[in-house]
Amino acid sequence: MINLRRYTLIRNVILLWMSVVLCAAFLLGIPKINILEHTARNLYFHVPMWFTMMAAVFVSAYHSFQVLRSGDIVRDIRALQAARIGAFFGVLGLLTGIVWSKFTWYVGTDVWWNFDPRQSMVSLQLLIYGAYFVLRGALDDPSKRARIAAVYNLFAATTTPFLLYVIPRQMDSLHPGAEGNPAFSEITHPIMRLVFYPAIIGFIGMFWILYTQRVRMALIKHRVTHDPEL
Amino acid sequence: MAATSVPQEVQDASTAYDSVWAVANIPTQGLSGMEQVMLSHDKLYVVLAVVLIIWIGIVILLLRNDARLTSVERTIEEQGIPSDDGL
Amino acid sequence: MTWIRGSWAILQKDLRLEMRSRYAVNMLLMFVLSSLLLIAFAVGQESVGERMQSALLWIVILFSASIGLGRSFVAEEERGTVLLLQLNVPGSQVFTGKLIFNFLLLLAVDLVALVVFALLLNMVIEDWLLLLFSLVLGSVGLAGATTLLAAIIARASNKGPLLPVLLFPLLVPLLLSVVRASRAALDGGLGLSRALPDLQIIGLFSGVVITAAVVLFEYVWYD
Repeated sequence: MINLRRYTLIRNVILLWMSVVLCAAFLLGIPKINILEHTARNLYFHVPMWFTMMAAVFVSAYHSFQVLRSGDIVRDIRALQAARIGAFFGVLGLLTGIVWSKFTWYVGTDVWWNFDPRQSMVSLQLLIYGAYFVLRGALDDPSKRARIAAVYNLFAATTTPFLLYVIPRQMDSLHPGAEGNPAFSEITHPIMRLVFYPAIIGFIGMFWILYTQRVRMALIKHRVTHDPEL
Repeated sequence: MAATSVPQEVQDASTAYDSVWAVANIPTQGLSGMEQVMLSHDKLYVVLAVVLIIWIGIVILLLRNDARLTSVERTIEEQGIPSDDGL
Repeated sequence: MTWIRGSWAILQKDLRLEMRSRYAVNMLLMFVLSSLLLIAFAVGQESVGERMQSALLWIVILFSASIGLGRSFVAEEERGTVLLLQLNVPGSQVFTGKLIFNFLLLLAVDLVALVVFALLLNMVIEDWLLLLFSLVLGSVGLAGATTLLAAIIARASNKGPLLPVLLFPLLVPLLLSVVRASRAALDGGLGLSRALPDLQIIGLFSGVVITAAVVLFEYVWYD
């Protein structure tokens, strides 16, 4: 079901790629920016978490759609594991964001959590996935669970795009591109973009490795116990 | 930047620092020990902390995967499925 | 035409059952009243700002919806009428009937909550039209989301408090816009023009949610 030779090849390429990105992230000189200083390098680590989570959300919703179309249990395994790894990257994005803002804009204050739009959106997506996992736990029959959980996942996917419009109008943001903040292209030196875009690709690749590993584990579990929940 | 509004709210109680706040980001409470460490070397340790968080996250995921694998292996052994394919 | 007749039949059946027992209505109203009284006692003599008033109002409505409307499909399962409905009425008609029934229940909740709230918290309503509009539009979206999720939890094995857990994360966009719109209605200076984007979002949200729910309902309803 999974092409192992292709998996191994892509995995090796991605691991090599990430090693190069990690070295470049620390070795390449960056222009000095006020307040941010060296923490501008977090652009390579914190921001890709958000991109990776979005990719995971899309993968999960796509496979949920395929569950409804075909009723294939393998699609359900894929949707669940993409959601799990997506939630994992969402948590990492939140934690790294908290640390980054604490030691730049909130130095000397007791602010750890500010209601930044992106922070709120990630935490809501995590809530939705939490509900998704709880719902799965409340359904016993694997094929029924696959179908009902897919319905919830898709239903959630239709409501979340509204957040992109509603939330930014209610809260201030620390992120570039928001109202009152400089645009991303204004504050990002070309040399930073040289590392930033490969870092996004690398972290999405990391998602793909972790996700495929867990899909393989779930497939084995399904073959042994006839229950793919992992 | 929009972010500057937040520290100003914090410091509404003692408006004497207003002129300082307008110029630069100078703390009101004085730096705590953790902040002194994190802000040294042009805040390089903040990057270290962020990378460490990601690394620790991956380690936790790895350990959880291991636990899951062990439980699957146990069920395979209990069911007596021959492991001839090298699994 | 048959589609409308089928939905109407479902709605009529639910209304008649409701008239007989008054279970859902009574429970919803008691919940609204007791939570409103609790809020009033907890707030005490303090005057509550417009933002807080509209937030509290909507949170009460949201919680009562999540508690009172979860039974619409569970009840069918308990009465053993699911198979009968599945065989005789197309899924989309069942859904529409239930949706309208839930919407009517929510309107009753809105009305009671609004009147009691205005009395207890000394709410001054500047723009009646805007407030009613946002209440009704918000209830449409709320009814759409709860009806689909009620069908989902009827399929789960331990149904307990599952509905609020599933419902609340999905309703955040609706809640934020609806609170803003009602606040504009309480705060006369803002007026209709500033609330218009919020009303548009509420309407769009309700439309998208109901469309998605109608499509997805087929997969929940049939085995």
